[in-house]
Parts: sequence; structure tokens; C-alpha cells
Amino acid sequence: MIRYLLRRLLLFVPTLWAIATITFFLVRLAPGGPFNAERAIPEAARAQLARKYGLDRPLAVQYVTFLGRAARLDFGPSYEFPARPVREIIARGVRVSAELGGWALLVALLVGVPLGIVAALRQNRAADTAVMAVALAGVSVPNFVLGPLLVLIFSLGLYWLPPALWEGPQSRILPVLTLSAAYAAYVARLTRAGMLEVLRQDFIRTARAKGLPERLVVLKHALRLGLLPVVSYLGPAAAAVITGSLVVEQVFAIPGLGRYLVNGAFNRDYTLVMGVVLFYACLLLVLNLLVDLAYAWLDPRVELG
Amino acid sequence: MRWSLAWVALALAAALSGCAPRGDGVAGSSARAPRYFGSVNPPRESVLRFNNGAEPETIDPALASGQPDGRLARSLFEGLTVSDPRTLEPGPGQAARWETSRDGRLWTFHLRPGLRWSDGTPLGASDFVWSWLRALRPETASRNAGLLHAIAGAEAFNRGTATDPASVGLAAPDETTLVVRLARPVPYLLYLAAYPTWLPVPRHVVERWGDAWTRPEHIVSNGAFVLERWRPNDRLVLRRNPRYRDPARVRSERVEAYSIEDLSTATELYESGRLDWNTSGYIPSPFVPYMRRYADFRSAPFQSVYFYSLNVTRPPLDNVWVRRALNAAVDREAIALDLLRGTRQPWGRLTPQGYPGYPAPPALGYDLARAREYLARAGYPGGRGFRKISILFNTSEDNRRIAEAIQAMWTRGLGIPVELQNMEWGATLQATSSLRYDVARRSWIGDYLDPSTFLDIMRGGDGNNRTGWADARYDRLLSAAADEPDPAQRLALLARAEALLLADGPVVPVYHYFSVELVKPYVRGIWSNALDTHPLEDIWIDHGWRRPGPAGEARAHAGRAGARP
Amino acid sequence: MGVSAASVPAPAPGRSLWTDARRRLARNRAAAVSALFLALVALACFAAPWLPGLADPAAQDLRLGAAPPGAPHWLGTDELGRDVLARILYGGRVSLLVGLVGTLVSLVVGVSWGAVAGYAGGKLDELMMRVVDVLYALPNIFLVIVLLVFFSRSLLMLFVALGLVQWLTMARIVRGQVLTLKQQTFVEAARALGAGDRSIVFRHIVPNTLGPVIVYSTLTVPAVILQEAFLSFLGLGVQPPGASWGTLIADGARVMALFPWLVLFPGLALSLTLLALNFLGDGLRDALDPQDAGRVP
Repeated sequence: MIRYLLRRLLLFVPTLWAIATITFFLVRLAPGGPFNAERAIPEAARAQLARKYGLDRPLAVQYVTFLGRAARLDFGPSYEFPARPVREIIARGVRVSAELGGWALLVALLVGVPLGIVAALRQNRAADTAVMAVALAGVSVPNFVLGPLLVLIFSLGLYWLPPALWEGPQSRILPVLTLSAAYAAYVARLTRAGMLEVLRQDFIRTARAKGLPERLVVLKHALRLGLLPVVSYLGPAAAAVITGSLVVEQVFAIPGLGRYLVNGAFNRDYTLVMGVVLFYACLLLVLNLLVDLAYAWLDPRVELG
Repeated sequence: MRWSLAWVALALAAALSGCAPRGDGVAGSSARAPRYFGSVNPPRESVLRFNNGAEPETIDPALASGQPDGRLARSLFEGLTVSDPRTLEPGPGQAARWETSRDGRLWTFHLRPGLRWSDGTPLGASDFVWSWLRALRPETASRNAGLLHAIAGAEAFNRGTATDPASVGLAAPDETTLVVRLARPVPYLLYLAAYPTWLPVPRHVVERWGDAWTRPEHIVSNGAFVLERWRPNDRLVLRRNPRYRDPARVRSERVEAYSIEDLSTATELYESGRLDWNTSGYIPSPFVPYMRRYADFRSAPFQSVYFYSLNVTRPPLDNVWVRRALNAAVDREAIALDLLRGTRQPWGRLTPQGYPGYPAPPALGYDLARAREYLARAGYPGGRGFRKISILFNTSEDNRRIAEAIQAMWTRGLGIPVELQNMEWGATLQATSSLRYDVARRSWIGDYLDPSTFLDIMRGGDGNNRTGWADARYDRLLSAAADEPDPAQRLALLARAEALLLADGPVVPVYHYFSVELVKPYVRGIWSNALDTHPLEDIWIDHGWRRPGPAGEARAHAGRAGARP
Repeated sequence: MGVSAASVPAPAPGRSLWTDARRRLARNRAAAVSALFLALVALACFAAPWLPGLADPAAQDLRLGAAPPGAPHWLGTDELGRDVLARILYGGRVSLLVGLVGTLVSLVVGVSWGAVAGYAGGKLDELMMRVVDVLYALPNIFLVIVLLVFFSRSLLMLFVALGLVQWLTMARIVRGQVLTLKQQTFVEAARALGAGDRSIVFRHIVPNTLGPVIVYSTLTVPAVILQEAFLSFLGLGVQPPGASWGTLIADGARVMALFPWLVLFPGLALSLTLLALNFLGDGLRDALDPQDAGRVP
């Protein structure tokens, strides 16, 4: 177990290096540069900025400097917000995004898993159809429709909740609901599918035949294996949800991390993009490692590594 | 099908609780009582809450470029002059008075005595000299340093060809006297002096903290407000500057400037009463026509023009008759009045309206018959043999609708094949500035109230030209105008230049912008003007405001119930 | 759930499994109706140019603008006065194609990648999964922008951009399932009977992952269709004045409160398609169930 963990952690290094390297060259291949704007910048000023940020040096030098700094988690200042280091932008943004994402994941699991179980146990009956119908609505109503719709109803129609801004517990409700809807739907669908696979297997039949109470069979024996697809899905989903959702953050004016990747991409803010991508990559690797550990915990027959 | 019913129900709920046409249900509401959009409860404290728009990139006056940056820079820092909120006429700011030489090239400003930064450090004429030289230094890399080029020697110093600060025409014989020598007469100098690039910055703070000097924990300012808090992508909080030269002038104790990029979100926050003022440009354009019924709605011509630029280095757009044909085939009225429901003004010139004394040349108009004739004269009768051209625009709903309309006008009117190409912002900029396009969407906002702020961009080789068009006669007319001391003569020269530009057709003007903003009825001190400039120190909350009409009192969310007599 | 050959559910030889499945699928009413519905939608979309009475999706009427549903525009018009029904039908072509291709890539690449990695285990598994991690972490938006630099926009490029990332989660899900399935008795039994690795993976293990696979595939379809709208934003998707369901929904969402029909009808088109796909998917899963192979429903 310890050896497995160590090996996986060591593997983080080449994986992150590959991500950093490809991204480094990818962002520089995109047309335009960080200092273009509608209002043309004087040539002298552009040259000065390039010198200031080391963009006038050969690409290889830039790359080596970048790797050295990235190893120390130093990405330098953002080009677009010169008074703010990228590290600070990420630290501030992720606090908000992680809170929003954490709640959304929790809601998605608390809603999705029980619904999925109920649907599986009542396969092809009314309860199943109803649950799956709701789940499908959750998937097919995209968050850029759902968010404004919730605002129209609950903020501007009923005056129950604030329409936007991140302040106070009330302001959390609509963004969390908006963000969690699609995830809850995925979780419910995958739980149902996973449970259906498991419920038909021999050991469940054996357990039932032995006269174990149905609740015990379902919750103790079937659920562990039935949740495997959900757990697989959760690794990448959690990484995405913690680094923030552009749409939800924009609709609800939430100062999270989600908008930085896309806006940074549009502004060719290389340092910001590199920082956010590597942060996301670290998170993803850690979560996927946790997922792999969870496999072994849920199904003791699974061998690690 | 239960769930699809849910869909319908949701959509119906949306329609019923709907956003813009709210209040529609109130048939026959009185013509006398004004209707308000959403909540009209003033905040309890003396605080102005408004949407400043996109997250400011910086509040350093020398670097500020967008409107969100500029608005904050001008509230934190004060220049020699300040703009009257109604007329934009420059009045005394940090300078109490000034005089100018007969040829208009030498200006002497007399600063108020006893000026201080917000940390108590004295502020004098040498601070202005240092700040302007800083903005001009190539190391500062200011985008707008060009606005200082009016000063003698400034351009060479800015380009790095002259390195001696003494070569720039600035002098501070004593701390209350500032002498500015100009390269040429600049009739709008006093307007410029209120512009962000011309604002003073605290040398002692800038030198100590470098790029980080604008952070709330470091920044020191001399304007009406000081920066108390900056929460990125959320808000900046400004507080009245107790060391401001005239604290009584500042009407609000506190200002909350929100950074809300999404137009619908901004409008919803305004409706719910969380914002007192939704600044111009932050109402989704399809909603604008429906906002007119509310007393909150303010609109005025804004000096900005939406146009298409034609890349004249690419055939067949190098042919002047083709350019004239394309120009004449655009039905600007159908776009501005029908498609955009009159929220814009059809416009056939590059320079906007509102320049006193400018003898503007005749505008380009829609004339399909003539457009076809031009096209035939260019050698493409009925569009035969015309290669497919592509309209490039940065992705946005508005840009696309307009491009689709113009595409249809050119394809169906002239019979030429036209395709649309949208790109994200960075790629669009790169394509237009490197002339890798056929037709591209552009727009331009004036810096000051003078036609040259528009005409200068079309000089041959100017970084903002982006059409490849260059005409020595045009450039000569602009230069002659710049050196012309007589204001009327100068404007006449500029008008001749614009006539020449329009006749040659490297640009296809489409419409003239309006500022559109929402202001709660209890907010005072906001007047619509052509620059959409509203000094924050003049704006305040009138706590004595009461909702008019027999109901008498301001009720929350009353906008929805309508204002029934 | 009684008497299938559960302990060694070695599926019947391939062809008869499929014939069997098809027969059982046809007997599932919901699945059959769904299949018919999908066929009709696809037909209406791809045959749109020849549908009698259907308006030209590009014909504008700026004066009319956005008109609510009613004759002659049964689903209303958009802000340029274009017929919404025509735009939905024409737009369905790109969306259905994109959904189909994206899902196929996810199925073929994702399932094989995940199954091989999970079954092989060890170093190969590590390597394959780290490749998935790298692809996950790369900023998709730059991939697309850079793709557009080197290749002109085309349907093929659109598929490439979507296919590049759509299979990743599928691979992780299948791998997770395979990790536990490969420890089960029927795999050992198959191995004892002399089955080769390839046959064990694709004939014994993969069929047992079909439940989650099919469910995740049906969920991929709307995700891909909406993702296409984002690629359109970057300039890769449909080319205006054309539209897709994704772009129609995205545009309609902005004016939801003013012109609800602009988001309602494209949204309904997507939702109904998804619902049908889902019934079809569930039916397929039941029909292909290796453990029910001998059972008459």
C-alpha cells in the first residue's frame, strides 16, 4: 500500500511535466499575444512589456525559466492584472470555487445516490421512470439556461433569494443548485446502472437466499460495488467542479477560479493560464489517485497496482 | 413525458415571472405616475452602489485603458481640471487657474496651495511633471501615452529616441506653478488634463512598491476617494478622501463599484435593488427597447461608432468602386431601427455627432440601385466573377446578428458570395492588426470631444488603421489641421479629410451608439453626456426621495406591481 | 431472475447474441417507439431541404423580428425574423451528427482504452491512465484555438476537437468496472476454459460493463451537443447564419424572458431526443444483457 502510494506520487512528476510542457507550447501557438488590444499598443511599449516579462528571449530559455519557477510554484504576475501574482489569484479564487463546488458535489451525491438506488430497486416501474425523467431534465437543461431560470423564478419572481453576488448563506443556494443539477443527474443515472449490474450478480442472490434482510443486502453488499461507476466519474468531475464553472460564476457574479482559465485564454495571459492548468492538473491527479484507492476499499478483491 | 412537461412548465414560469416585459400586465397604468424597474428602496447609508463592468485590469492612471479602469482612476486621482458632470466643461481641479499664451502653445497652471496626498504627503507641480514623464517613459509601456504627445518633445521621449527628461516641455518653477509647452496648439487641452493619463501618481509609493503600488494596502491617492478594499471579480470599495482638497464636494461617504461582467446579471441586480446605477452598456441589447417605459432608463448619443473595415490590400477590395458598392448596399436603417429596435442610430460617417462647430461631410447612404451600378463599374455586373469574401467578427450575439443581416444585404442585394467567420477576441485582434481578413467588424470610442480622435486612426500606418488604406492627401490634411491655430479653419480641414475618407470607402459605418443606463430615482448627479463620463464625487443618494403618486411611499419591488394611481 | 447459466455466463457465440438482442429489443415497446421517433427526427432534419412548406432558414424579415408561435411560423421567429422550425430542423443535422460521432468515439476509444488498461494492470495500466490524465488537464480551449490556426474549419475538425476529449471519462469508468470484474469467478472460469486475453476482455468482461457504458453514452450525447455551441463560440462549430441546437439554445437562453420560444423549442428538441435515446439505451442494455441471454422476457 505504502509502496503503491509512493510510486503513484512519484509518477505525478513526469505527468505534470508533460502537461506543463504541452500547455506551455500550446498557449504560445495560439494567434496573437498577451498585449494585443482593440486600441493598438505603441511598438515601443509592446517591446518594453515583452522585455519585462521575458517574452523577448528565445523560447527555449523561456521554457527552462518557466519550469524552474513552476517547480517552486511561482508563476509570476498575471499579464492582465499586473499587480497580482498568479499564485494569489488562484488562492483567492479556489477558496470560493471549492466552497461552491463542494456544496454542489455534496448535493449531487445526496440527491443522486438515493434516487439511483430507488430507481434500480424499482426498475421499470413508475418510481424509476419518474426519477430518471427528472435526471434527464437535469442533463438536458444546460446550466446557462437553468441558472437564469432559477433567478427569474426565485429572485425576481418570488423575491426569496438574491439574484447574484457571493455574500451570506442565502447567496449560495441558487448557484449550488444550478451547478449540482447536471452532476446529480449523472450520479443518479450511473448509480442506477451500477446497482442494476450488481443486483443481478451471484453473491447478491446468495445473500438474499441466505435470508439476509433486503436493506442489508442493498446497503451493505450491493451499494459498495454499485457505486464503482459513480466513483470513477467523481474523480474528474470533482476536479472540474472545484476549479470552478465559468457559466455559474458568470451568471451569479461569483469571484471564483472558473472564469480565469477561459478569460485568460482569450487574453493570452500565459502566466495565468499556466498556473490554472497546473493547479487543475495537480487536483486531478490527486483525486484520481483517491478514486483508485476507493476502488480497493469498495471492492477488496481489487489489487492496487 | 412528465419531464418534458416540466420543461414547458419551467419555461412558462420564466415567461410569467419574466424579466423585461414585467409590468406589462399592468394594463392602463397611469401616464402621470412614473414606472420604475424593480425595487426602489434607497440604501440606508450614504453609499453609492453601481456596476463598474468588467474587472479593472489596473487602476494605475498611466496604464488604465478601458472604461472600468478609467472611471476608478478618475475617482481616486484628480488632475489639473475636472469635468462638469452636466456639460463636461473642464473646470478647476488641482489647478485653481491657468493662462495660455497668444499662440496657444504655452500654458501656465497655478495649483491650489496646500494640496496633499491621502497619506498627508504634500503634492505639488513637480509631482505632475514626474507622473507625466513616468507615463511617457517606454519602460512604463502605457497604451495611452499618445494622449500626452501634445506636449513638446513628449513623442520622442515616449518612443525612446530622446532620453533626456529636460527635452520634454515641462517645468515646475515652484511647487504651485506648472508650465507646459505644447508641440502644437491643442484646443481641447483642458479636456485632456482630466483624462487618466494626465493624472498625478504618488511618486513615493510608486517607487517603493513598483507594480504592486495600486494594491489597496499600498495605494495613496489625491482624488475624491481612497481605495479601501478590492475583491477581484467582485467589487472595489472606495471611501471619501478626508484629505481631498474640498471634502464637502464629495457627496457619498462610500462607493461600491461592482465588477459584474454579465449583462443580465447586472440588470437583475439592479432590478432587485442591489445596485443603484447600472452603467451604460450593461443592459442586454434585446432588452433595451423594453426598458424605455421605465423612469430609470437614460439614454444619450455616445461618441462611439460601429463600423466594418475593408482590407484594401486584398482584391477585389482594393477597387474603390467595390468599396463604394459595399457601402451603398448596407441598409443602416434596417439594422439600427428594425433589427436593433431603434436602440442605435443609423450612421454613415466615421466621426460621431456632437462636435460643436464641425462642418461634417455628407453621410454615406443606402442606395441599392447605385450600389449595383458601382459594382458593375468595378467589373462585376450582378456580382458575376466576384470571389467569396468573408466577414470577420469577434463572437458576440450582437455582432453575429448584424453580420448576418449585412451578409444577407450583400448577398441578396449585390449577388456576391459572403461568408461569416467568428473568432474569439484574441484571434480577431491578431487577424485585423495583421491584415489577415477581408471585412472586419470594428468600433471606436472617442477619447475627447474632437473629430481628430476618430480621424487620426485612419492615418496611413497608424496601429489602429487596420485596413491597409493610406492616402497622402488625407494625412496632409490631418497634419495641416493639427498645426492650424484657428479653430474653425482646423475643423474645416478635418471635415475635408473625412469627406475624402468616406469617398474612398475603406470603412463602412453602420451605426452610432447610444449610452443606455439605468438609474434609480433616488440617485442624483448623473447627467447623460456624449462621453458617458460621470464623476463619482458628484453622485449621491437622495434619502429624502419619496415615490410620487397617491401611494406615497416607496415600496420594495413596486416596479412589478406597477405604479397604479 | 432465476435459472440462467449464471456461474459461467459464457455468452453465446457473437452472432446469435446480437440476433437475439435485436429480437428482444423489438419486443420492448418503449425502445421501439423511441427508435422510431429518433428515425423520424433524423429524417426530418436531413431531409429538411425537401420538406414541403418549410421556410428557408436563412430568409430574414428584420421588420418582423422575433414573433411568437403562430401561422405561418408555427414555432415563431427569431430576432432576424427567421423561421424557428426551419432553423431547428436544419440545425439538427449538425447536432445529431456531432452527438453521434462524439458518442461513437467515446464508445470505441473509451471502452477499449479503459478495458485494456484495467485488464492489463501494472505498468501498462499506469501509462495508459496517465495519458488520460494529461489529456484531461490540457486546456481544451487552446487545443481548439490552435487547431484553427493550422486547419481550416470543417466538420472533420469539429469531430476531431470533440473526439479528443469525449472518451476520457468513459475510459476511467470502464477501467474501474474491469478492475473488479476481472477478479470475478466467471473470468477465471473462462480462463480455465482456455480463452485468450482478447476474448476474455471483449467477450466476457466488456459485455458486463454495458450498463454503465450505455448510460454514460446516452449522457454524452447532450454534453457533446452543448459542447459544440462552445466550439462555435471559438469559431469551429457551425458557421453562421447556420445554427445547431446547441447554439440555438445558447442564444435563446439570453432572451429567455423576452422570447421564451427561442429557447423552449430547441430545448424540447434536445430533451425529446435525449429521452428517446435513453429509452433506447435502456432497452439495448436489457437486450444485450449477457446474464439474461437465455431468458425469455
